[in-house]
Amino acid sequence: MEWLTELWRRMTMLAHRRQLRAELEEEMRLHIDLRQQQQQERGLLADEARIRARVRFGNMTVLKERSQSAWGWTWLEGLVQDIVYGARAMLRSPGITAMALLSLALGIGANTAIFSLIDAIMLRSLPVRDPGRLFILGDAKDSGISDEFARNDLYAQPVYRQIRKQNQVFSESAAIFSMTNDVYGYVGGRSEHEPMQVQLVTGTYFETLGVRAMLGRVFSERDDDSEGNHPVAVVSYSWWNRRLGRDPDALSQTIRIDKTVYSIVGVAPREFFGTKVGDAPDIWIPLSMSQAVPPHWGGYKDNTAESLYIFGRLKPGVTIEQATTNINLVFQQIFLQLLPTFPEGPHAGDNAATLRRQHVPLTPMAKGISDIRRESSDSLRILMAVVALVLLIACANIANLLLARSTARTRELAVRQALGAGRLRILRQLLTESLVLAMAGGAMGVASAPYLSRLLLRMVFTGPNIVPVDVSLNTGLLLFAFGVTVSTAILFGMVPAIRATRLRLTGALKDGRGSSSGAAKSPLAKALVVSQVALSLVLLVGSALFLRTIVNLYNVDSGFQKDNVLLFHTDESSAGYKPDDARLPVLHREVQERVNALPGIVAASYSSWTFGEGSWNGTVFVQGFDNDKSIDVKHNIVGKDYFAVMGIPLVAGRGFGPEDSTASGIRGVIVSQQMAKTMFPAGSPIGRHYGLGSQKNAGEFQVIGVTGDVKFDSLDEPAEEHTIDYYPLDPGAQYLRDFDVRYSGDPDTISSEVQKTIHAIDRNLPITRVETLDERLTDSLSGQRVMAQLCSFFGLLAVFLSSIGIYGLMSYLVGRRTNEIGVRMALGAEPAHVRRLVMREILVLVAAGIAIGVPVTVEGGRLVTSLLYDLKPTDPFSLFGATALLFAVTMLAGYLPAHRASRVEPAVALRCE
Amino acid sequence: MNRDEIPPGTLYLLILKTLARFGELHGYEIAESIQQASDDVLQVEEGSLYPALQRMLIKGWVTAEWGVTAGNRRARYYQLTASGRKQLERELSDFERVMGAIARVIQTA
Repeated sequence: MEWLTELWRRMTMLAHRRQLRAELEEEMRLHIDLRQQQQQERGLLADEARIRARVRFGNMTVLKERSQSAWGWTWLEGLVQDIVYGARAMLRSPGITAMALLSLALGIGANTAIFSLIDAIMLRSLPVRDPGRLFILGDAKDSGISDEFARNDLYAQPVYRQIRKQNQVFSESAAIFSMTNDVYGYVGGRSEHEPMQVQLVTGTYFETLGVRAMLGRVFSERDDDSEGNHPVAVVSYSWWNRRLGRDPDALSQTIRIDKTVYSIVGVAPREFFGTKVGDAPDIWIPLSMSQAVPPHWGGYKDNTAESLYIFGRLKPGVTIEQATTNINLVFQQIFLQLLPTFPEGPHAGDNAATLRRQHVPLTPMAKGISDIRRESSDSLRILMAVVALVLLIACANIANLLLARSTARTRELAVRQALGAGRLRILRQLLTESLVLAMAGGAMGVASAPYLSRLLLRMVFTGPNIVPVDVSLNTGLLLFAFGVTVSTAILFGMVPAIRATRLRLTGALKDGRGSSSGAAKSPLAKALVVSQVALSLVLLVGSALFLRTIVNLYNVDSGFQKDNVLLFHTDESSAGYKPDDARLPVLHREVQERVNALPGIVAASYSSWTFGEGSWNGTVFVQGFDNDKSIDVKHNIVGKDYFAVMGIPLVAGRGFGPEDSTASGIRGVIVSQQMAKTMFPAGSPIGRHYGLGSQKNAGEFQVIGVTGDVKFDSLDEPAEEHTIDYYPLDPGAQYLRDFDVRYSGDPDTISSEVQKTIHAIDRNLPITRVETLDERLTDSLSGQRVMAQLCSFFGLLAVFLSSIGIYGLMSYLVGRRTNEIGVRMALGAEPAHVRRLVMREILVLVAAGIAIGVPVTVEGGRLVTSLLYDLKPTDPFSLFGATALLFAVTMLAGYLPAHRASRVEPAVALRCE
Repeated sequence: MNRDEIPPGTLYLLILKTLARFGELHGYEIAESIQQASDDVLQVEEGSLYPALQRMLIKGWVTAEWGVTAGNRRARYYQLTASGRKQLERELSDFERVMGAIARVIQTA
């Protein structure tokens, strides 16, 4: 405790140090006065007595300092002094300071933002108990409903039950529906329906994960033990917050979806967003209700409705190898029993062969199931590299600026050392100055990181598809970026300091700002500039490549006419229509007819898919075609005017007519050119027959027409994927989400007229989205656009930083050589000659940077090949363009100091020292 | 006027002892007392009392209070604390041990 009271006394002294200093002085003065008095009394003269008294007292200044240092705060006062001095030094060269601060802030801010996003999507573990023990069957890449025999990734509910019961390696296992159900429902007694995302899960879902309810309870096995009679729901924290306003009484609330009323039994904890990254459900409902939740997937008891992901928690002590062996054993047994119940493939015995070959891998689920991770991991990785490069450039810039500044201060430091300043004291001061700069920049970076992060998220996920990923800043990452940049600042603040204090003083003093060639003395600074130029080139070429990719994609021939088309989305399942509802064809026919009759409508048609919504694929069986190739065909169900709406040309045959709408007989289909070419290579495809799936359906459809090829899901899909066939809308009863309209005139008027017409037919049919086809195309490029935007931003930032670096270095070098230049000019050198002299140095640096940058770029370009469209990473246009831009900008940055040098007045320059 | 520097490390001891003897003293009085008590043999560089006193204040061995001198001037008077007294005992016994040891060395020589 002694030290504590002592510390207290020290603190008091620090607080009152001004007063204490005065008191000490008074005390000492009294002492000297008294001594003088005493000496006078002994007979000395006043002056003599005063001198004697002072001699006996000793050096008052030193004694005062020693007394004060007893308080133990000298270091602090020194630090404060240094900081003030450092701040003043920073303000003396505001340009350099601003650049260094900006480099630091952007370096730290942008890096943290990007890393946080990457962390959220790729690296973070699920917030559940011991996520490392969770494994999922298969790779969870596909989603949907399948009836393929013995799939290793999607499972039917009864199969899940059997696997859960028979395996010996999972302490608990669960399954979730591989898709979310986007539905419209009513909360409590509200009359307005609202969109909600439902995830169907087994009763064991939360228990397997080890997630407990924040409020109420989670599901138990009992909520899932019989089909259709467990209308309960667990809601997410964010939904509870948004839609229920954190109502503590949430458990007494209900949600009505379609005709079923669900009671809310629990609220999930805040950090739990589900098991799929970027797909945060609002509501979890037991799988037993799958028939009741639109769009009524059902299949609860169906062995061939494979739609679930199964995952489990390994029992303690069980290895992944043991688990894989056991699960595969169980899998084989189950499907061997199911073999007779599955539809057979094209050839007898196919299923048995499939089962023999099939293997179920176990995939770690610690980080959740992620589509966006797969989709954007390449982009994110490249962004990470880009930002790391920018961080490097920023660091190089800081290093360069500090180097230049402290080299300029060599003489000042030498003078101070000559006056007796200790080397450590000077080092400490330079360190403090670097720290002040680093901390200020770091603080700006930390402050800007959240904004950059939000900006980034908005850029990455544009359009209506807001991906709910949690990108709260990761403190560790922030500290990392902060640490990296700040230590750069410190390191490069210190290196010259150490060098400077090791000087032979006389040399430095004599040297002054004289004629020594500054260039020869800063190889480090030059190396930094060269590497900056090289890195900038890499980034610039990258952004040029991504920009060209976007342009290529936007100009690619989509096969349809994108202008003057409006797309309306409706949600029939939420409006109470059942999957086979007889009212559906009536609704479709009526909407099509009445909208077609509106003024300004050129054509209007339903379709099950329009561009960029995914696809429904399947194989077809064509007589005389090698069906083992099993080419996926994209199926689309369309109204007769669909081709007119989309502007897809009919190449051969005829379009749909009333004769195709009858329920009886062979149905007519229209195929794409690509499909005609691949599947009916010989002769005209018109009149030929084929069927879905296996041989027994071979005569089902007859080709009546051939249309031009179109892009179906994305603009960068290759021509081989354009195998598409179109089925007539009538007379089938199925949900159709898309209503497409080609119009002339004002789209806003048309849009509201069409919506009015639809609601006049069914007031309850939700129109979930209206957009133009052109918007849809642009949206589909958002990923590429973000890459291009971010890369351009960082590329230009890099060039900017490099130019600043070159400008700073050259200004500094020219400044050092003022004297020499003055001499040259006094001896008759022309300004143009001086300019050339300086520019030659810059040229060498830039050329060296580019010479290094080009091979690096070409090598690095391989990494981005998969993200480019119709473009090689060695695209000469991008390479040349980027090089030219970089060259121009850096030369301009160098020209300013060169120009200044050529304007030096010889007399001024010579007097300068 | 041949005066000896005080042996290093004993300044605290001298100040503590002086204060123990006279109670309240200001800086000048302490210097004078030490000098007189040693019959003018021990010569303190008078100013160095003050850093020592500051350190002792921090250690809590002495407290200080402002008072008025006989000549009617403001002066800071120092006084021993309890822990100062303990410190004096410690320093005294240390000193005696060292002196004894030195004495024994000299006697055997």
